[in-house]
Amino acid sequence: MSLAIIDAREWQNTFDLETGQPQTSESPAADMAARVLSRHPYPGDVDEKANQWVTGTALELIDRYDPDLVCVSYVQQFFADRHFRYARKERERLFASAMEEAERFIEKSGFTPVIVGTGDMIPLKGEMDLSGLDGLAVSSNWSARYCGIHAPSRHDMAFLDSLDTLERIVSRDQWIQMFATAQHDLEIHQDTNLMPDFLLAARQGHAFKTMGTTLRKPVHIPAKNFLVPVFSPLGRVDDLRDIKPLIRSRLPDHKIALILVEGVGERFFPASRFMCQNGVDWFCNEPGDAFYLTVSTGKHQPFAYPAGYRFFDKDADAIKFPFSGYMDTIPEHTLAQDFPGKSIAVGNRSMFMHMVFGVDISIECFARNLFNQGCMAVVHREDK
Amino acid sequence: MKCHFCERRCDLADGRSFCGNFAEENGKIKERWPDQWCTYSPSRIESVPFYHAYPGSRSMIIGTAGCNFRCRYCSYGFIACKDPAQLQDVMYTIAPEKLVAMAKKMGCHNIVFNVNEPAVSLPSLQRVKKYAEKQDIPMGCLTNGYITPEATQMMAEIFSFVHIGLKGFSDAFYKEFVGIPHIAPILRNIETFSRTCHVEIASPVIEDVNDHELFDIARFIHDIRQDIPWHVFRLLPEHNMKQSVYPNIDRMNQALETSRSLLPYIYFHNFVGSRWVNTLCPGCGEVVIKRFSLGCSGDRLDAFLAPDNTCTCCGTAISMLGTRVGWNDKQTTVWESVI
Repeated sequence: MSLAIIDAREWQNTFDLETGQPQTSESPAADMAARVLSRHPYPGDVDEKANQWVTGTALELIDRYDPDLVCVSYVQQFFADRHFRYARKERERLFASAMEEAERFIEKSGFTPVIVGTGDMIPLKGEMDLSGLDGLAVSSNWSARYCGIHAPSRHDMAFLDSLDTLERIVSRDQWIQMFATAQHDLEIHQDTNLMPDFLLAARQGHAFKTMGTTLRKPVHIPAKNFLVPVFSPLGRVDDLRDIKPLIRSRLPDHKIALILVEGVGERFFPASRFMCQNGVDWFCNEPGDAFYLTVSTGKHQPFAYPAGYRFFDKDADAIKFPFSGYMDTIPEHTLAQDFPGKSIAVGNRSMFMHMVFGVDISIECFARNLFNQGCMAVVHREDK
Repeated sequence: MKCHFCERRCDLADGRSFCGNFAEENGKIKERWPDQWCTYSPSRIESVPFYHAYPGSRSMIIGTAGCNFRCRYCSYGFIACKDPAQLQDVMYTIAPEKLVAMAKKMGCHNIVFNVNEPAVSLPSLQRVKKYAEKQDIPMGCLTNGYITPEATQMMAEIFSFVHIGLKGFSDAFYKEFVGIPHIAPILRNIETFSRTCHVEIASPVIEDVNDHELFDIARFIHDIRQDIPWHVFRLLPEHNMKQSVYPNIDRMNQALETSRSLLPYIYFHNFVGSRWVNTLCPGCGEVVIKRFSLGCSGDRLDAFLAPDNTCTCCGTAISMLGTRVGWNDKQTTVWESVI
């Protein structure tokens, strides 16, 4: 059983990660993780110190658990830049300081890094309001480029065709087929009946306003980042899917840190960076679960939790993994899942760090829509 | 001309109302932004949170912009505490009949006004009610209760279930943390609503600020009707209180202990993993409704163990508006593309 230790500041509780039921635990690893949590209260998603929290927490967890593989995410700059307007210089500083924090972690930990940026952020030019369709438009809090359309009428399709800011309309079958061609063992775990009839992709700089999008209007959104920066002394890769095999092949003789830095593009990376393919044809992953899962599993993952999914028709009363956001199963083939060495993850991308990497122990913030609820540790295994 | 929706009773001759939603036009009060909504999303009714109304149901959450309060800790300050004129690019314009059709399309059992204060958009909500009633979709809301008797009457006609914020129990608290002079209208309106609607009450607790008022609030609720559910929220420091200390959960829970002898349905939550979100039978103390809390707007029903709203152990009736419904009961939309 995987244990979730929730720290809501000066108050901790342990739960069964899958059922959400309270548990008592005598697990030494859970006890250790709880102590680390209590020493590192989370400052908040957009707080200046949120990335330092990642480094500090990861270093202490390394000190106490001695892992061979560490997965880290730095996301403060993404949340801040997405929601708040900064002067140009301040914005530059925001992204540069995220990279400095990653470098500080590498220096202090001594791990060999694989740093992956999710690509640049650009100003929001405009939004397409699709609330008036006869069918139903569904996007999500963190998506900008994609939106699903369910049961559109002919009138809806004519309206969508008229939108200059819409890059393309792709049928569900075309969308699936494109990835099935690119990935022969493509997996679709979700109910395809709840997937949209059509996926919409916005032109660069544009986003959607639909059911499910955030109340906070974004200031910046991800660019179309078909190429994202990667830095690693371990060697060059050409595609996000190649990162997993690279790391796994070098773990026998290296302690490795996979570091994801969200919202950060090429120019903030070291000169010896290289650019890496993100996605297929017209579909690039935005920062989020699909991006993380592609890196971690070495496979395309647009359908793990598809864009435009009619999530509310699936949402029953007693769901599994209630602390894991919309993830309802532990993904297979993840980076550390069958790794015999010790592994940890720490990050301020909340509610899925413990799911996407398959590590033994993880610590992440527990924030929803920027509301700071505290932190969570998850102990998947402690038999190493 | 005075606005008659909230107890601020703004003089509209001065321009617009404090909330920014009303102005005078040809001797009448004009709603400046009719049919403008900041959201329309399905969610669990427990997430609002309503714990004793239609358990397990799917609510369409709606809201507008602007508020008659300026709570220093407002979680939705970026919508509620802003001038609605500045937010028009984030709003959706949806006619009332379309909004109700949307609720139906998304399989929602009810419509709940959340996010900001409904009194600032009552004319629009009256129009929604007209169509919701035809579709047999009940409406509920969260309100701060600082509204006129006329608006209270209007709201009682629109909403069959109302969650009222009773944020403290003194004029001093309301003056300093909310920006209004008197608590009296709120207490008056809680009593009025309790005679006409299903009522639940919420009180955010701020350590060393209003925790000493908890028992007074409990006694006030008890004197109206002791089966009114009371939600005590641990303050989530937001908006202008971002730097404040999070209230200590154990100490706040301890502060509630004496109140528990007065009220059978006290819930202490607004933080992830709360242990105080289940309903216990007032007769025998058995758990009759299990819930799970993810903190702000993240609560859900876990198990409903009181068929026909009755404790299976001792037969005591559990106070409830409606009864358990299935999440997908109302999903009748045939999701077939016509293309």
